[in-house]
Amino acid sequence: MNVLKVPARTIAVFVLPCLLIYIGLVFVPIIVSVYDSTLNWDGINTAKHIGIDNFKTMFAHDANFWPAVRHTLMYAVFSMLEIPICLFVAALMNRYVKKANTLVSIYFVPVILSTVIIGQLWKTVYNPAEMGGMLNGILNSIGLDSWTRSWLTEPKIAMYCLYVVSLWQYFGYHLLIQFTGVQNIPQEVYEAAKIDGAEGFKSDWYITYPMAVPIFKISIVLAFIGSLQSFDLVWVMTGGGPAHATDTIATLMYTSSFSSNQYGYGSAIATFLVVMCLVVTVIINAVFKKVEAKYS
Amino acid sequence: MVKKSTKTAAIALTAATLLLGATACGSKNNDNNTNTGNAGTNAGTNAGTNAGTNAGASDEKVTINFQNIYPDPATPSYKMLHAIVDQYQKDHPNVKIELESMNTDQQKLKLKTQAASNTVPDITIVNPSAQLQPYLKVLAPLNDMIDKNGLKDTFQKGLLDYYSADGNTYALPDGNNIEVVYYNKDLFAQAGITAPPTTFDEFLADVKALRAKNITPIAEGEKDSWTGSFLFMNILLRTNNGPGFLKDVNDGKKTFKDPAFIEAVTAMQDLIQAKAFEEGATSIDYNTGGNIFKTGKAAMMIMGTWETGAVDSSAVGPKVGVFKFPTVNGKGDPDEFMLAPGSAFAVSANSKHLQATKDFLNYFMTEMPKKQFELKNAVGSGQIITGDFKAAGYSQLAQDVLEMFKSQKGGDIAFDNTMKPAIAQAHLSSIQNMFVQKVDPAAVAAEHQSAFDANK
Repeated sequence: MNVLKVPARTIAVFVLPCLLIYIGLVFVPIIVSVYDSTLNWDGINTAKHIGIDNFKTMFAHDANFWPAVRHTLMYAVFSMLEIPICLFVAALMNRYVKKANTLVSIYFVPVILSTVIIGQLWKTVYNPAEMGGMLNGILNSIGLDSWTRSWLTEPKIAMYCLYVVSLWQYFGYHLLIQFTGVQNIPQEVYEAAKIDGAEGFKSDWYITYPMAVPIFKISIVLAFIGSLQSFDLVWVMTGGGPAHATDTIATLMYTSSFSSNQYGYGSAIATFLVVMCLVVTVIINAVFKKVEAKYS
Repeated sequence: MVKKSTKTAAIALTAATLLLGATACGSKNNDNNTNTGNAGTNAGTNAGTNAGTNAGASDEKVTINFQNIYPDPATPSYKMLHAIVDQYQKDHPNVKIELESMNTDQQKLKLKTQAASNTVPDITIVNPSAQLQPYLKVLAPLNDMIDKNGLKDTFQKGLLDYYSADGNTYALPDGNNIEVVYYNKDLFAQAGITAPPTTFDEFLADVKALRAKNITPIAEGEKDSWTGSFLFMNILLRTNNGPGFLKDVNDGKKTFKDPAFIEAVTAMQDLIQAKAFEEGATSIDYNTGGNIFKTGKAAMMIMGTWETGAVDSSAVGPKVGVFKFPTVNGKGDPDEFMLAPGSAFAVSANSKHLQATKDFLNYFMTEMPKKQFELKNAVGSGQIITGDFKAAGYSQLAQDVLEMFKSQKGGDIAFDNTMKPAIAQAHLSSIQNMFVQKVDPAAVAAEHQSAFDANK
């Protein structure tokens, strides 16, 4: 800052508008929604203070809440498990593929498609055979008729079908991040390792992976927070149904607030979501601090 | 340095002005707030004074915001809306009507936000009965307006009750529909069915006959969950031997554990287990579900008569007939229908031009039935329309449906129009669940009862 030779006062003046907008659009709504979570409110008429009753209902009485939390956490786990694979593929591509950029761009295509389009696309893949479902069609044609099912409407498997779509959608995104990270590792390090006799997978193990940790962490955090907020894909493909079997925290929050007209209760779920995001981000950061310390 | 500090001062000044602007707006809103507090009294006085001033200076410029749910230019409703609005603006050069068209779900969400912040547009769209209740305080009573030009008498008897509370009428419906069974005559013939069923047992037998021929019996867009509930409620209307089951529950005279309710769940389950619906129905949305029928891939569609026009103009239009939902286990009267009083036009209690808005809406509602008749959109009108439908070119299907309206002896309205939203949501997901797994009817009843007890 001193390099610019501008008094702190001026900087403050220029930063202020942005800061005010940020506070107004991010912090104030969070605080308001925490406040709303103590209300019994239909969103229109006079609200009634009920203390922490909404949270009691949420944790103890709402049969749909814990399954939604479980679905969301599973979502997060699957998304995070994808990232080591992305890193592995990125390392391979960096070493063996000559024009890797083209390949990365192709992998990236699903990311730029709108989620609604992806949802509709995969719905036609998962559809029952009589509605032209592609997956069932393929299973039928290779003689695996007994494997066909109505993928999105069987409560036990519908959620997994959604995970698959999400993994497909974000694979290119995380691959791009990891690939950039891997590319930025200085070539000299590898050369030095070569002299010491480390090549191929050995150099990956001792050089690429440890040096990619910071980028790896970014992907993990992004994947985790993205999964916690998962809403659009679920909404397009199943609407949280059948009968809440694919509800995530965000879809449950939406139906509570807008379909059941329980704004207070919806806000309580939102508050839980915010707290969960914060806590887990802190945990991830702490874990990676240790990992980074170990390798640097 | 001097220059710098003047700059800072300038920025500070600008910021201050902006802030002042904001507070000014804020206080204006506050005024509005107090207005709504006394919506009842204000509406009365406003109407009086506004009428006086309006009569004195009729060339006063007036802008009326008209929020509506007719965004699609291909639909007759859109044409009707624009024709009437254009005509009114021509006749009243001082009145400008600003249309804000969006689809139903968006409008529902938007109105919720607007009601919470007291910015309801002059004319908006609300839904009947239970769904109207939360909005009463932001709406103006229309009693004086519907008495003008005999508007009140154009509505079907009893229809306005769904939009009234404490002796005040708050909204005027754009339609009134009944639930019927549309069927594809060709597919019925293919399955060897000669006549539409009149009992539930015949109905089930027909479903099985269709399945045996590999024809999907009933098209259902159950992702939207209200569709299954609408059908279920029709069964309940029969097993309860007439309307009023939910009202009795609300009044504490019955519970969901009543035999009539359990019988209805059992019948619904029989239907689902007989594979009456297309595979994966819970992932099919309403429009896709309708298209399965309209492209001839399913034999029946059990839906409100608002679909008549769309069915008529679809590929299977000429082959489609219609029948009343059958009796269940010998109970119920086929002339009692699930009723669907439509979305309705309401006026904001905060409207700046309350009287002008009411005058316009009066004209709009008086013209609507005529325009609907011309546009061949008279099926499901909430207002009495007389005329020679055959001569006007209405299809046989449309005439058959209109005939059913004449024999109609009342019925029930949808679950979510009768019960609180939270209970309705529990009901919707409970019914949706029946489409994906076999359930114990008593457990479904218990689920309903506990949702009801928790949200009374």
